[in-house]
Amino acid sequence: MQQLQNPSASEPLTQPTPVSKIQSWLVDQLADVLSLDPTTIDVKQPLTRYGLDSIDAVTLVGDLEDWLDLELPSTLLWDYPSIEKAAAHMVEEFDVTL
Amino acid sequence: MTLAQYQLAEQLEQALGNPHQVESLMSFQRTAELDEAEQFPHDEIAWLYSWGLQNYYIPTECGGKFTSFEEFVAFVRVLARRDLNISIAFTTLFWSFLTWMAGSDEQKQTLSQLMSEDHTAMCLAYSEREHGSDLVGGGVTATKVAGGYLLNGEKWPINRATISGVTYVLARTDPDGGNRGLSLFMVEKQYLEPSQYYNLPKIKTHGIRAADMSGIGFSDCFIPDRMLLGPEGHGLELGLKGFQITRALCAAFSQGAADTTMRTTLNFAVNRQLYGKTVIDMPHARRTLTNAFVDMLICDCVNIGAARGFHVATDQFSVWSAVDKYFVPVTLEQVMKETSVVLGSRFYMRDEHDSGVFQKALRDSAIISMFDGSSVVNLHALILQRRQLAKARLRIRQKPDQLAALKVRLAQSFSLDQSLPPFEPNRLELFSRGADDVMQGLESTLADLEAWQGSGQSMSSQPVNQAVLSQVIELGKVILEEINAQDALITQSAFEHGHDQSFESFELAKQYCHLHAAIACILMWMHNRNHEDMQGFFAEGEWLVLSLHRLLSRFRRSLTPPPSTYYENVAQELLQLHQADKMFSIVPFQLAQRSRAPAIAAPCLVT
Ligand SMILES: Cc1cc2nc3c(=O)[nH]c(=O)nc-3n(C[C@H](O)[C@H](O)[C@H](O)COP(=O)(O)OP(=O)(O)OC[C@H]3O[C@@H](n4cnc5c(N)ncnc54)[C@H](O)[C@@H]3O)c2cc1C
Repeated sequence: MQQLQNPSASEPLTQPTPVSKIQSWLVDQLADVLSLDPTTIDVKQPLTRYGLDSIDAVTLVGDLEDWLDLELPSTLLWDYPSIEKAAAHMVEEFDVTL
Repeated sequence: MTLAQYQLAEQLEQALGNPHQVESLMSFQRTAELDEAEQFPHDEIAWLYSWGLQNYYIPTECGGKFTSFEEFVAFVRVLARRDLNISIAFTTLFWSFLTWMAGSDEQKQTLSQLMSEDHTAMCLAYSEREHGSDLVGGGVTATKVAGGYLLNGEKWPINRATISGVTYVLARTDPDGGNRGLSLFMVEKQYLEPSQYYNLPKIKTHGIRAADMSGIGFSDCFIPDRMLLGPEGHGLELGLKGFQITRALCAAFSQGAADTTMRTTLNFAVNRQLYGKTVIDMPHARRTLTNAFVDMLICDCVNIGAARGFHVATDQFSVWSAVDKYFVPVTLEQVMKETSVVLGSRFYMRDEHDSGVFQKALRDSAIISMFDGSSVVNLHALILQRRQLAKARLRIRQKPDQLAALKVRLAQSFSLDQSLPPFEPNRLELFSRGADDVMQGLESTLADLEAWQGSGQSMSSQPVNQAVLSQVIELGKVILEEINAQDALITQSAFEHGHDQSFESFELAKQYCHLHAAIACILMWMHNRNHEDMQGFFAEGEWLVLSLHRLLSRFRRSLTPPPSTYYENVAQELLQLHQADKMFSIVPFQLAQRSRAPAIAAPCLVT
C-alpha cells in the first residue's frame, strides 16, 4: 500500500501504476460479471459494448467503492464510460490509495 | 387527531362527504357512472383544484404548501378510497417533483404558477410502445437545433397524455451518449406548434376506465432550450431518482382502495344474516377479515415509515422505495382477494351493494403494482443492491458511531410526533451504498426491547404488556436469524449483474421485503406506543404480534400460534373503526360520516 502522490508520471514502467491497477481490476470484474475472456476486453471501448447496462454500471461503482474504501459519484461509469477513461479520471480526481 | 400531519386528510374527508351518500361529490355511485361511461372526471378534478389541493404538491419554498410525504400519503388515501381514477388522474401532479428536484428557479416558479393558478396538470412520457421498462432503449429523440431541440417519436401508453398542460418527455439527445445520452424536458404544450405534435387515441383498459390513457407523438416538434430540465444528458439519472419518489407514493393508492374493499365488505358482513347468524360472527369470515386488517396495518407501518423516511434517510430510497412499491401493492392485492371471499357473489357485481365499488376498486387497483416500475422491476432494483446491503450490514456492526447515528435516524423516521426536516430531493442517490437503516437497525432495536423486559423500561413511560413484549422479541429473533441466513447466502453465492438474475434471486428479494416490513412494524410500535393518539389498541401491541406472526409464517411453519384473544381484540378494533367511520390504519383518522344534510356543494378553499 502506498499513498499516491503523482499518479501518472515518475513510476517505472515495470511497476503497476494506480491507473493500471484500476484498469486491470475493472477488466477482471467485467470479465467475471459478463463471463468474458479478460484478454478480449479493450479498455478503450465503451462499457456498454460489452453489455453492461445502466444499473450494472452503477452497481459496479459500488464494488469499486468497496475495493478502494472511497466514496465515488454513482454515475462515474456513465460519465467516463470506458475502463481507460474511468481509471484516469479516478486517479486524477480522487484520493485513491493503492 | 392531535397529529397535525393528518389534519389535512381529515379536512378533505369532511369537504368531500361520505362516498356512500349519493349526493357527495365523489360518491361511489357517481364514480361508478363515470367508470361505466369511460368519462374523464373533469368536474371532480376541477373541484379539487378549487379546494386548493394542488398546493400540497408544491413545496413551501416554491410557493406551495407541501411539507411532508406523511401528510401527502394520508390525503392521497382519502382520494383513493373514493375513486382510484380520480386520485391517479389528479396525482399525476406528483411528477412535478422532477422540477422541484432538477429545475432552475425560473422553471420552478413557472410550474408553481401553472399548477396553483392555471390549474395545469402534467403527465410523464417515458414509456414507448417498443420499449416499456427499458428506458435507455427508448427511440424518441431530441435533436439540437438553434435555440432549442426538435422532438421526434411517440410516447405510449401515457396517463393524461392528452388532458394535461405539461409533459415530461424523456428523449435521446446524443445517439452515442449511452446512459448520458438521454435528457428530460418539461414541455409546456401551450408553446408547441399544434401541427408538430398529436395525441394518440384513448386506450381501453381493464380498470381506471375513465382515465385519459393515451399517448403523444412528435414530428419535428420544436421546443425551446428553456424546456430542458437539468443538464443535457442527465435525463436517465433524473428519471430514476424521480421514480424513487413516486414509487413509494403509489403505495397510498393501494391503501385507499383496500380501505374501501374492507369497508364495503364489512357493510355486508355485519348485516348479512345466514343460518340465524351474522356473517361476521362466523369464525372463518371473522378471521379472514382480521387477517386482512392485520396486513393493512403492516402496509401502514411500511408506507408511513417510508413517507417519513424520505425526509431522513433520503439517500437510501433506492432500497426503501423498491421495498415499499413491491410490498404494499402486492400485499394489498392479496388482501382484496381474500376479503372478496367474505363479500361473496357481490364482489363481482357492477351495480349491486355500494354501487359495485368492490369490483371497481379491484380492477382499478390492479394497475398499481404494474405501473411506475412494476413489481419485478422493483425487485430487480433490490437484487442489484442486495450484496452491498449484506456487506454493509456486516460492516456497520463494528462501527458504534455509525450505529448511534442510524438509531437517531430511525427514531425520526418512525416517531410520528417528531418533526421532519424538509425533503431535499438532491440527496437522492441511484444506489444506497448498502445502507438500509430499517434492516441494519434490527439488532439495536431488539436490544432496546430486551431492556424493556422486567422493570428496566427506561425508554417507555407507559407500562408494556410483558407477554406481548416477549413474543415480539422472540419473533424479532426469528427475523434476525432469517436475515443472517439470507445475507450469508448472498455473500457466498456468485453475483449476477444485469438482467440475468435467477428466478430464485427474485424470491430472495421478496423475502427481504417481508423482513424489512416486519422490522418496520416493530419500529412503528416501539416509537409511538407512548403517543396520546396511539393509546389502547395500538400501544397494547397485540396487532404487532399477529403482524410478525403473519409475516414470518412464510419462513417458518412451526411458529407458536398467537393467543386467540389477540385475534378477537384485533377483530373488535376493526369493527369499531368501521362503525365509527375511521380509517383502517395505525393512525385511524376520522372519515366523513353519513349526514342528513347534503355534502358541501361549493368548494371551500383551505387556508
Ligand atoms: C394504466 C397504465 C398507465 C401507465 N401510465 C404511464 C405513464 O403515465 N407514463 C409512462 O411513461 N408509462 C406509463 N405506463 C406504461 C408502463 O409503465 C409500462 O407499461 C411499463 O414500463 C412496462 O412496459 P411493458 O408493459 O411494455 O413491459 P416490458 O418493459 O416490455 O416488460 C415485459 C416483461 O418483461 C419482464 N421484465 C421487465 N423488466 C424486468 C426486470 N428488470 N427484471 C425482470 N423482468 C423484467 C416483466 O415480466 C415484464 O412484464 C402505463 C401503463 C399502464 C397500463
